[in-house]
Amino acid sequence: MYRSVILSILLCSNVLAHEMTPTYPKWQVTYIEGVQKATMKMVNRRVDVEWYEISVFDESWKPIPFVLHSTGTTSYKLLKIDYLGHRKFDVYINEKDSERAEYLCSTSKIRGDDSNKPMIESKICSRFK
Amino acid sequence: MKKLLIALSLIFGVTSAYAGTNIDGSVQSRCTVETDTPGTYGNPNAYTLTTLPASSGQVPIVRFDVSLANAYYAQISYPTSFSSSPSLGDSTTWTGAVTIAQTSSSDMSGYQAASTTPSTSMRQYALTVAGTTWFAATSIATYGGGQNKAFPGGSYSAVVVAQCIAQ
Repeated sequence: MYRSVILSILLCSNVLAHEMTPTYPKWQVTYIEGVQKATMKMVNRRVDVEWYEISVFDESWKPIPFVLHSTGTTSYKLLKIDYLGHRKFDVYINEKDSERAEYLCSTSKIRGDDSNKPMIESKICSRFK
Repeated sequence: MKKLLIALSLIFGVTSAYAGTNIDGSVQSRCTVETDTPGTYGNPNAYTLTTLPASSGQVPIVRFDVSLANAYYAQISYPTSFSSSPSLGDSTTWTGAVTIAQTSSSDMSGYQAASTTPSTSMRQYALTVAGTTWFAATSIATYGGGQNKAFPGGSYSAVVVAQCIAQ
């Protein structure tokens, strides 16, 4: 009985995950002239995180301006995804900026909980090729 | 009851483990970053906080799952600062290490030797083999600007950064 419980805990423990696809997104044309968009999908299996920050960088990791569009987004480029939830979102960017955009990243926003534990900030970056 | 527990564990184990194959049989490139073990700081004396198990700490372990070879770099760093309230009056010295705790394939045995260091606290690994790698980030914080002063009261937060960057 105890062995079964321990086995269950061990096998069920790997549920704190962060995932973003595709690895190599493509800019697509939009109905707005001079603006392009990339569509991404994220999965949140981190019970300790519900907000993710979206960023776009050039090759030197300098930030590039963009507009994030999805349900539950804010003007601070934050995306709310509930535990075990998934969300599609669009990143809109100027056509001239899209040429130098290299990385599109999502970073978990973590909160201190006074628990004397190191927190784990996960970050996944897709790349425009 | 026993069979039920085993069945549940297998179901959750399989679904929480990374599923790399799409419904049409193709494999989509993706990286999943998972917190395998959150980690805890032990307090062997008044001026030290450490994740070392010998001091009642627990080393955080981060798991990276990649579905295709040569698609991602893993970058992991141990903490180098505390976010604290109230703020600390003296400086904290950080030491630590990032190591590979386990791999899902023997083909990954060269990862440790092939890692590079973008910064003092961070290591980068080219994930050249599809599968799972577990990384451990050990850290030790000593307070007092070299004079071993006791940590003042308050709450402290330290962050392990785990990044999966497309190659």
